[in-house]
This record gives sequence, C-alpha cells and structure tokens, in this order.
Amino acid sequence: MMTELLEALFLLLMAIIATYIIRHYIFTLTAIKNAKNPNLRRNDGSSHIKVSILIPARNEEKVIERILQRMTQLTYPKNEMQVIVINDASTDRTGEIADKFAKNYDYIRVLHRNVEDGGGKGKTSALNTGLKLVDGEIVFCFDADYYPQRDIIENLSKEFNDPKVGAVQGRVIVLNEPYSIVTRLIALERTGGYRVDQEARDILGLVTQYGGTVGGIRRSLLEQLGGWDESVLAEDTELTMRVYLAGYKIRYVNEAECYEEAVENWKAYRKQRYRWAKGHMQCAFKHWLNVIKSDKLSVKQKIDTLLLLNVYFMPVLVLLSWITGIVLFLFSSTQWMSTVWTLAPFSVYSFIGNFAPFYEVGVGAQLDGRTRAQWLISLLVFAFLYNIPICTKALVDLLFSKIKRKNDNHWTKTDHSGNGNTYITI
Amino acid sequence: MIPNPNPTMFIMLTLGVSAFISIMLLPALLELKKPRDAGPKPINDLALSPHLGKIEIPLIDIEKSYEKEETVSIKPIINLIAFLPNLEV
Repeated sequence: MMTELLEALFLLLMAIIATYIIRHYIFTLTAIKNAKNPNLRRNDGSSHIKVSILIPARNEEKVIERILQRMTQLTYPKNEMQVIVINDASTDRTGEIADKFAKNYDYIRVLHRNVEDGGGKGKTSALNTGLKLVDGEIVFCFDADYYPQRDIIENLSKEFNDPKVGAVQGRVIVLNEPYSIVTRLIALERTGGYRVDQEARDILGLVTQYGGTVGGIRRSLLEQLGGWDESVLAEDTELTMRVYLAGYKIRYVNEAECYEEAVENWKAYRKQRYRWAKGHMQCAFKHWLNVIKSDKLSVKQKIDTLLLLNVYFMPVLVLLSWITGIVLFLFSSTQWMSTVWTLAPFSVYSFIGNFAPFYEVGVGAQLDGRTRAQWLISLLVFAFLYNIPICTKALVDLLFSKIKRKNDNHWTKTDHSGNGNTYITI
Repeated sequence: MIPNPNPTMFIMLTLGVSAFISIMLLPALLELKKPRDAGPKPINDLALSPHLGKIEIPLIDIEKSYEKEETVSIKPIINLIAFLPNLEV
C-alpha cells in the first residue's frame, strides 16, 4: 500500500516537472520564432505624458549618484518628469548625495524617512510613502543600483497608449557580470528569464510579470488597488496578480533595457533568493483561488499564472521527487518504476536551470549573440542545488508563520557594492 | 528491489557518471580559466535617440590577468622539470 502511494506521488511529481518543461519549451520556441520576425513597437515620440519615477534607497551611497546622474541624462522632457528619491532611514551618505541632486535639478525631490516616521521597514513601505507625492500619470520604479538606457521612459510609456495596459516591464541586464561566478550565473538566468521567458509570455498573451523595477504602472490603477501590499515580500509579483485580476494587462518591452548590479557572492544570493522564494510563496497562498475564480483571465492565463506562482515550490518538489525516486528504486517491486526512475534525472536536468531552464538560457544567450557565455550553462546546476535548501527553508518558515498566525516577514535589504560602476562611464 | 552488487557494474557506473560530469562541466571550466565572453550586453541607448551616442563599457582584459597568473603557477613546475634528466639525443 505504502509503495503504491509513493508511486502515485512520484508520478504526480514527474507530471508537474514535465508540465514546467513543456511550458518552457513553448516559451523558447516562441522566442526563437519571434527573433526571426521581431515585432518592434516603436514610439513615434508624438505624445509625452507626465511620469513620476520612484527610487527607494536605503544605505545606497555607493550607487545612488550613478542612477541620479542617469536620471538627469534621460531623454524624456524634464518638464514632464518627476523623480522622487525615498531615503529610507539611511545611515550613510545616501540622503546627502540625493539632496545635492535635488538642489541642482528642480524635477528631483528627496523624501527623507527616519525610523521614527516609519522608515527602514523595507522597499514596499518606502514606495507607498513616495506614492503620496506622485503627480505623474504613470509611476515608474527603479532600484538604486539600476542604470537605464537614456530613452527608457519613452520606450516603456508608449505602451500606455493602449487603455487596457495597466503596467509595463523592461529588460534587466546584469552590469557587473564579469565580477564573479555568481554574477555570471545570475546574468545567464536573467538572459533566459527576460529575453525568452518574459518576451514569450508577452507574445503569447499570457501573464507578463511586473518585476518591481524597470517598470511602470498607471497611477490611477495603483491607487485603485490600494498601492503596494506591505505584508508580502514579493510586492512585484503580488502587484502583477492584482493588475491582471483587475482586468488589465502588463506589457514587456524587450528593447527597454536597464543595467542592474547583481549580488556578488553566495551569501548575498541566499538572502535575496530566500526573500524572493518566501514572497512568491506568500503570493501563491494569497492568490491561487482568486486566479481560478477570476472572470478576467482566460484559461491559458490561469494555467500560466498558477505555474508562475508555484515556481519557487519547484526546487522543493524536485528534491521530493529525488527522494521518492530513490526509495522506490530500492524497494519497489514494480519493474516499470526502475525505467521511470532512470528518466527522472534527465527530466530534472532539463528543468535544473530553475527559473529559466538550460535550453531557455542557451537560446537567450544565442539571441543576444553571447555564444561564449553559453559555455557556463552547466554551472547553473550548482545554483539550482543551492536553491533547494533556500526554497525549502522559505516554505517551512512560511508554514510555521501561518500556523503561529504571525507575520514575521522582515525585509532584508540587498547590499550593493558599487562594483558595477567600473563598467560604466558616467 | 535492490540490484545485486556487481564489481564490474559498479566500476562502469562510476566511470560513466564521472565521464558524464566531466564532459558536462568541461566547457564551463574552460571558459572560467580563459574567459572569452565579451561581457555584459551593452544596453541600447539608440533605440529612439540615435544622435545621443552610446555609452562605453570598458571591459577588463581578463585574458591578460589570467596570463600573469598562469606564469606564476607554471614557474614551480618548470623548476621541478629542470631537475629531470634530458632524454633528448
């Protein structure tokens, strides 16, 4: 009886893994097809709408000058643009540097938050505070370590000509890629995730993800939705869900490019991924039923949304499938189980690139002309293996906090070294 | 159903797995040892404003830095080999 139950569980896990593999093969083929006939949506530059750019910053003295300097270089008309830096209880020179820019450029404003004013609670809280000062029709967000192309606002804001578009998302490219193995692997993941995954979702009319930075949202919609949800750690995915559930769509603009400074070591990687994993799982628990019940989403969108929401459960499920497979291999008397078990590692290997599987990363790098970067793809296996304990811990912690009915979701800030500065001439 | 332990099977399995892992990781090790990748994809500043010019990303000459390391690591080996008898006729 026990063996039969384990066999059923194992087959279920294999089916889930296979579903993800098929999904990402579809994405990859779509990206390849689109690369041959790119449907570039150019801006004719005829209309400019007032935009506000929020830059939450906490102890970002090493990078804040870089992004503010870049804001002054944007091609968007400055009289139609407002930049708000939310200095979130920084204890370094972040506020001082931002004030210097605010003094010299009238469209840049700095909002200082102390711990007494509720500062230091994290990015989402800072964004909601900044939202109160926004007077633009579209609210863009950039993290302090980002560095966008000069015409990114034009590239992104043109999408809002369609009234059904609630938000837009641009492409993120790792700036400090040559710095370490970690940055090089993250760069590969990003390539697969944006160049293939996000673009394919956009083309296929599925659920394009708003990434919380290098993106914008209609202010009216954001206010209607009540701003960012401070109770979840993945505020971007959570907002994505509410935008779609409200009947709007999100467009991905591959040509709207922006550099980011990726985390440079495994410890920082673990902290960041733990936050993402836990936040994503929170969103899954919060919205899975809303997604199923929604009359605003098509069937294919519902399926894709559920797969998207559950992606951080996958490392846990893969681990479970390995354990189950080994137990069955040793103790099952069923002959076919041995055959299935031998197939399992290959299926897992195919998926093992985690949030962007191997073939997706490979095609993304190919489309970017990065054939030599493809040589590193096999190392993604280590990133995936590292994600197994991270995601398992995130799930266990989340379940415990649910049992205890205590929301102990502390925002852990990602530290930025400013090492990316060496690759840019400001 | 635990398969009967068979020494030949065990050796073949170990060799097979080792070969698979080596082949899988070989390109990555080569790229890490001598990086030839051009670095981050330059962001396209010219999408709408071609007159503004591109930003320049100065790439580190990684190969040169590796050459130095190689010279250092090879020296002890050269010293060792120097003691060996010359087999050339």
